[in-house]
Amino acid sequence: MNQSNSRRDFLKKTSAATLSTLGMGSPLAGLLSSCESRIPSTADSVILLFMAGGMAHTETFDPKKYTPFRKGMEAKEVLSTFPTIPTKLDDIFFSEGLENIASVMDKGTLIRSYQAADLGHILHTRHQYHFHTCYEPPQSVVVPHLGSWIAKEKGALNSVIPPFINIGQRFSVGEGEELKAFHSAGFLGSEFGPFLIPDPTAGLDAVRPPVGMDTKRFESRNKLYEELMAAGPMNDFGSDYQRESLKRSMEQAYILLNSPEAKAFDLSLEPKESYDKYNNGKFGLGCLLAKRLVDQGSRYITVTTEYEPFFGWDTHDNGHTRLKDMKKMIDGPVAQLIKDLDQSGKLDRTMVILASEFSRDMMTEGRPGLKVKDQVEVPDIIEDMKNYGMHRHFTDGCSILMFGGGIKRGHVFGKTADERPCKTIENPIKIDSIHQTIYHALGIPPELNYEIEQRPFYTTPDGHGKAEFGLLAKS
Amino acid sequence: MPLKMKSTLNSKRNFSFLGKVLITSFFVVIPFYSSFAQVFGQTIPDFWLWQFLGRLHPMIVHFPIALLIFAAVLELVTIRKYNSKFRPGIQLLVLIGAISAVIAAMFGWLLANSDGIQGELLDLHQKLGIATAVLSLLVLFFLQKVGKKPLPNQIKLFRTSLFIACLGVSVSGHFGASLTHGEEFLTEMLPWNEEFDAPESLTINLAEFTSDLSENQEMLLVTNVRSVLAHNCYKCHSGSKIEGELRLDEKEYVFKGGENGPVISPGNPSQSELIRRVSLSKNHKDVMPSKGKLLSKEEISLLTLWIEKGALWPDGVPQQSLYRVADLAPRKPSLPAPKAGLENPIDRWVDQYFKANEIDWNVRVDDRTFLRRIYLDVIGLLPSPEDLERFQEDPNPQKRQVIAQQLLDQKEDYTQHWMTFWNDILRNDYTGTGYITKGRFAITDWLYTSIRDNKAYDTFVKELLNPTEKSKGFIEGIRWRGTVNASQRIEMQAAQNVGQVILGLNLKCASCHDSFISDWKLEEAYAFANVFADSTLEISRCEIPTGKFARTEILWEELGNIDSAASKAEKLRQLADKLVQPSNGRMYRTIVNRVWKQMMGRGIIEPVDEMDNLPWSQDLLDWLAVDFVENGYDIKRLIYQITSSKIYQSESIPIASPDLLLASDFKFQGLIRRRMTAEQFSDAVSNLASPLFDSTEVRFRPYELIPELGNQAEFARASLVANNPFLTSLGRPNREIVSTSRDSQASLLQALELTNGTKLNSALEKGGARWVLNYSDPNELTLKLFAQALLRAPTTEELAVANRLYAGKTEATKTQDLLWSIFLLPEFQMIY
Repeated sequence: MNQSNSRRDFLKKTSAATLSTLGMGSPLAGLLSSCESRIPSTADSVILLFMAGGMAHTETFDPKKYTPFRKGMEAKEVLSTFPTIPTKLDDIFFSEGLENIASVMDKGTLIRSYQAADLGHILHTRHQYHFHTCYEPPQSVVVPHLGSWIAKEKGALNSVIPPFINIGQRFSVGEGEELKAFHSAGFLGSEFGPFLIPDPTAGLDAVRPPVGMDTKRFESRNKLYEELMAAGPMNDFGSDYQRESLKRSMEQAYILLNSPEAKAFDLSLEPKESYDKYNNGKFGLGCLLAKRLVDQGSRYITVTTEYEPFFGWDTHDNGHTRLKDMKKMIDGPVAQLIKDLDQSGKLDRTMVILASEFSRDMMTEGRPGLKVKDQVEVPDIIEDMKNYGMHRHFTDGCSILMFGGGIKRGHVFGKTADERPCKTIENPIKIDSIHQTIYHALGIPPELNYEIEQRPFYTTPDGHGKAEFGLLAKS
Repeated sequence: MPLKMKSTLNSKRNFSFLGKVLITSFFVVIPFYSSFAQVFGQTIPDFWLWQFLGRLHPMIVHFPIALLIFAAVLELVTIRKYNSKFRPGIQLLVLIGAISAVIAAMFGWLLANSDGIQGELLDLHQKLGIATAVLSLLVLFFLQKVGKKPLPNQIKLFRTSLFIACLGVSVSGHFGASLTHGEEFLTEMLPWNEEFDAPESLTINLAEFTSDLSENQEMLLVTNVRSVLAHNCYKCHSGSKIEGELRLDEKEYVFKGGENGPVISPGNPSQSELIRRVSLSKNHKDVMPSKGKLLSKEEISLLTLWIEKGALWPDGVPQQSLYRVADLAPRKPSLPAPKAGLENPIDRWVDQYFKANEIDWNVRVDDRTFLRRIYLDVIGLLPSPEDLERFQEDPNPQKRQVIAQQLLDQKEDYTQHWMTFWNDILRNDYTGTGYITKGRFAITDWLYTSIRDNKAYDTFVKELLNPTEKSKGFIEGIRWRGTVNASQRIEMQAAQNVGQVILGLNLKCASCHDSFISDWKLEEAYAFANVFADSTLEISRCEIPTGKFARTEILWEELGNIDSAASKAEKLRQLADKLVQPSNGRMYRTIVNRVWKQMMGRGIIEPVDEMDNLPWSQDLLDWLAVDFVENGYDIKRLIYQITSSKIYQSESIPIASPDLLLASDFKFQGLIRRRMTAEQFSDAVSNLASPLFDSTEVRFRPYELIPELGNQAEFARASLVANNPFLTSLGRPNREIVSTSRDSQASLLQALELTNGTKLNSALEKGGARWVLNYSDPNELTLKLFAQALLRAPTTEELAVANRLYAGKTEATKTQDLLWSIFLLPEFQMIY
């Protein structure tokens, strides 16, 4: 076993060395890969930082007039509950508390005109389903997650790292079943489903020998399995795909669990200085884990501020107060992730996206002019701090940040109105366009589809998603 | 002359040095190369350079072909005089030809790997190509052996090898070309291959359409044209999807053309864009269809002929079915005569099928294999070693039938196994979307009782369609909060699910627009959905309301009418009565086909939800369905009938790739080897090691429904617990939509769950301790464990492996590892 391991390593290293010498002209690489997909890829990996629960654009990346709290103020006069701060970009301001992200905005694009769908009743899990799959639930087939499409089409960059990893979401929370509905590879096959790491600090558990088993025993257990496999009478019992795929998958799992790359899951190996920069809770450490996994070749990673009804960004009350904490949670780690990727040169081929299923507003539920069921009582006159904040679900203007992997640097796309309703007034962009832009950067063509129950099923509904070239740097 | 000689020698010296380097490097490269292949398997081709070099193969191959053949021609021309003036030229040709042959072989290997090409033709091409490369090096070698004063033998050797190499490049080149251009690229042009068989989709002989066409012929021609268009073009060019502004589904649109103008120029095929596009080669950017398979030569000839004849499209072309439609009515073919050993009607049909297809019967399996198989298939559990012993010792010649009946009579075991099948199909689960807002209803109590009582299938269906509170969950669907697609409103969910599950047809397409996979129309889907509606539904086409209101109809008028003015309850009662009548042969074919698949691993029709597809034996299917109806709609009887057949008791068939199971030309050979379901595997682990699921995970307790049962279960059966990541990874579906076949292929995520997941690991940890408590002697423990898990004694090697593990003393952790290793053996996980 050891011998063959070292031989494999040797071959891997020598071939890597040879190839890197040969592959010096990397523009050529882009050109050549375009022969295959017809779209030259500008990104190899994607990290989605998902602000689950509905992040108000007016309180984060698209602040409006600051209306400080005073007892007895009229609810409808409240536009933003924080003062603004400058960003690295001229004349572009963020809401207070996002100073670090403001300082890296020269490295990416700020979208201020994302319009989430109208699904009647504005509900987090349904809109999340829509955001992550591009399809409105329910559907008559199990729809693959964006990460599954990418895992299926692009495969693993490194065969021992799962291509689609989901960090930070437990399914034991309220609406957990609704969350499960879209964390699926659907008809693409479970092989392309998400590798779930609910708690980034326990990421290592997912890829190390089971509890109570040291490496030595783990290795001898595998040896025992191989010996029994070789000794058993059914070993050469016809050629059967199920038997073969079982054997192959077990080998693959063993290689992953034993590989040096699996150390990427172990946050304790991160130098303390760097660890501390991310260490402000589960989300921050999730960003760190994502960085480490992208370094080792994962394709698609979601890091989520965990969704749990009425927690996190899901502010049905105390919006202002709670947002201070939420910003603290994301500001440092997100900026650090961008800086680290930029410094290592990885940002060029790694697309980082920060988004939420929809935005929030004080007054409007859904979008202006389309009455949907209100879910929060908002008094006309605010007497109590707990009513001060964006407590309703707003779909007609949301902010998304995109960095790297071919995205323009230092660019702003779209605009919302400065007066209520603070809705999109320029360059509206919808989910199928967001998805197709990501696929485009990865070199996945818009007409990609699979036939399921004899019907073609596309990455975006009917294959109509168009990449938004206004977001992409000219390559 | 001397001068010339000199230059020849010079070139020869150079070349012999080069030749040596080349030969040596080749033999160094070959082993390295194959270890590449072994070690990297799939990772290498992902790298762009490999792909790029691979793509150069089709260019490089022309060098060895041209150069070696040219060298051979010159050699022939100068056959009488070895040292002619062409000699240096020939040597150069051979040298470069040989080098390029080696390079071509290497690049070819890269191409084959990175482009995932497979098949016999490739194997042949590959082997010949490599052989030719090696041979061309031999040619070089022999050439340099030819000395200053050439010996006749040396010359012969060189020339012979050169001619063989020429043959090699020609033949492997031919196979290579066949790979690229298709196997008939060359031969189809030969005069004696002009005639061809009409393809399946064409029902006419084009040769009869040469002169002026009769009215009938015009009709036939356009009907066939429509069939070609429907099968190849509608997906993107019809009412449901209009790419390039072109529709090909109706006369008016066909002649109107698309965004770039007309596509048909009547009487003038060469000016018709349609013909140009479908005739292009696979890689052309304008080729149509742009996705999927190209039109066959026959189909193109048909379209061409039709346009040549003026693209006639008489009004009133009958709305002829463009798709295969299975008969609705039942049919009872008369049974073939019994033969010795083939009394079971199933075997008689199978025997007839085998004869017609020249397939031999497999041998009958031994008692052990049979018992393990029937236990897993009927009650989902492994037999114990005691069960096996009793069975083996039973002298009764009818014992296989006896055990089948006994297992079917083990009510709870049987029910708990089949709950998995029915829960998947009826979209019933204990947890899941919808329950949070009471938008979904479980039917578990009703389902458990119905399976347990072996409720007659017609009654079973009636109770699902015209439900009580306990069984309404199926047609009530899942009510999502907020607005949903018109095609997913709950009435339409009911129509789709009843269509799929009960009738084996796909209405999903037609619930949004006229189907392009069948003849079902939007209005028909709505008419059927309307049966489930409180008030008349307005038809929406692709989400846009049309202002038209739906009729109320069963899909086939032969089954009778539904009173559109009646209340919902009354409509459902009428629907239930009409659907289950014996004249609805389709419904009974659908259920017998599903049960057949459960027992035999593959349906008589696949996919089992598309009952319009061709069965591998129409007779067997029809007979089983009628027999099922004539004998009380009795599912247990059907299972008994299958298990007591000789074909069920014959050796199983391995399948090399899952695609083969779904292939339209599938040949039935016997029972397909399968992998255990998540539930079967879990139950086996719970039984042999320690219960996988604790009481908090159990969602259904039969004794709460049937008090006299008491709580007698030793472990919680997996079919009764809430879904969890362990079961999900092993293939238990999220039952939000109907699921009638599971993804059974192993994956990395699943292997990780089995390798280090806490669920399995903790059960095995407890299991290891339990086994050690019961057996202190390692030998005894190993024997017992093999007997229980694999129903056999360990082989000498296996025993030696276990003895090495224990080194004389049983230990809990070692036993835990032994349990794990055995549970992960394909032998344990397969139903064979």
